[in-house]
Amino acid sequence: MNAKPKLLTVMDVIAGVMFVTAVALVFFYAPLERVMGLVQKVFYFHVASAWIGMLAFAVAAFYGVLYLVKKDARYDRVELAAVEIGIVFAFITIVTGSIWARPIWNAWWTWDPRLTTATVMELVYFAYLMLRSGIEEPERRARFGAVYAIIGFLSVPLTFFSIRLFRTIHPVVIGSNDPGAEGAFDMTPKMTQTFMFSLLTFTVGFVTLLWHRVRLGALSDKVEQLKLKLQS
Amino acid sequence: MNGFAPFMRALSAVVWKDLRAEWRSRELLSAMLVFALLVILIFNFALELESSVRANVTAGVLWVTFTFAGQLGLNRSMAVEKDRGCLDGLLLAPVDRAAIYLGKTLANWVFMLLVAVIVLPIYSVLYNTNLFIPGLLLTILLGSEGYVAVGTLLSSMAVQARTRDILLPILLFPVAIPVVIAAVKATGGYLQGLDITEILPWLNLLITYDVVFTAVAFMVFDSVVEE
Amino acid sequence: MEGPANTLSYFIAGYGVIFGVLAFYIGSLIVRWRNLKQDETMLAELEKKEQAE
Repeated sequence: MNAKPKLLTVMDVIAGVMFVTAVALVFFYAPLERVMGLVQKVFYFHVASAWIGMLAFAVAAFYGVLYLVKKDARYDRVELAAVEIGIVFAFITIVTGSIWARPIWNAWWTWDPRLTTATVMELVYFAYLMLRSGIEEPERRARFGAVYAIIGFLSVPLTFFSIRLFRTIHPVVIGSNDPGAEGAFDMTPKMTQTFMFSLLTFTVGFVTLLWHRVRLGALSDKVEQLKLKLQS
Repeated sequence: MNGFAPFMRALSAVVWKDLRAEWRSRELLSAMLVFALLVILIFNFALELESSVRANVTAGVLWVTFTFAGQLGLNRSMAVEKDRGCLDGLLLAPVDRAAIYLGKTLANWVFMLLVAVIVLPIYSVLYNTNLFIPGLLLTILLGSEGYVAVGTLLSSMAVQARTRDILLPILLFPVAIPVVIAAVKATGGYLQGLDITEILPWLNLLITYDVVFTAVAFMVFDSVVEE
Repeated sequence: MEGPANTLSYFIAGYGVIFGVLAFYIGSLIVRWRNLKQDETMLAELEKKEQAE
């Protein structure tokens, strides 16, 4: 694990080039939206971040299950790495969505199911990190983390469903909270291309970041073991 | 170890142990009850709950009271086990861990329901509202089951952490949000006398939550108490 | 039909946040990696010394 794998360097380059390309596409290739203007362009990276957030938490839950079955510390490292990256992208999603909503919905925030679920999800994974930081013993920390990653991930769809039900039964306060109703637009082919490329770029970027974070976790475990060895 | 009869014996032993210990000390229930009444008292001033209480406010107040009191009880019931070394004793006993989980969950459920049984009539008298609607009682039954199913699992993790006193609500509340929303809406629906077709989606949601989380907690509890 | 709304500042804010947060996260990964590497070499040296004694 000491030498950086060649494949990872290759992925770094690919992810970097793709990211620059995606930014160029968003800025110069994608057409200006007729009504919303420039702020609509936030949408490409906003949705891509949301996708990575969900993907990361799903990966974390999956590796949580794997850890509980196999009890291998490597799975725990992937799980923690995925949660951390998921928190970063969920945060980007919430903030960029809020910035988009200000000119379009005329409010920074609405209690829309998607927004609320994203926030609850963020809180679940903050709780995950707090749980881990409260436990010193690595093996137990890994077990508890895995259990909470599974429970947290299962609760997300139920939260979304319950808030959506809450909204459809209740009248909506500020305009219509469904972006399908307000702030919706038809995608032109160029927009679709840019959007698809952004999704792909973020997915590649996620895998690359995950790999780096897993290596960091491995190094951190190694240092922790060295410390313990020296203490005894 | 893996028969149905021994499983049930272990389960009822755990439940009885909890209930008898509580019957002798009464410290958990009395704390939960006093706390619940204090929460209602605070809400009275914070929201000015006059005689014309709106049904949805009542539902919200009731569920905030139950979830807070329940959280208190969950934390305490596990902390006691841990401090007195009862948890280790239980785990050493040759019984299925799942039976211990179900037993603790049942006992916690009973405590939450007892709090509800006492709080409901008091609330009815204080605010002159009739809370004895069969559907509402069913909602409390379903809502508190989902809450203690997750809460028992998470509290057995929280008590083993360094930050145990503050950890449980932080772990429990975000994942318990679906239960709270569904229970509040169903309770409000019954209080407003809404048609059953409008309440049914919430009850279905509660049942889904109960089934999913009881099953998952049942399966993963083993890895929470493993030494 | 009026032209597109002028939302340039929100556009800049949006991408500013995206680039800022990503840069911050990648930076934190690099810093943590460096610190751990330092710790590792230091601990390895300590271990060697101990073995020599």
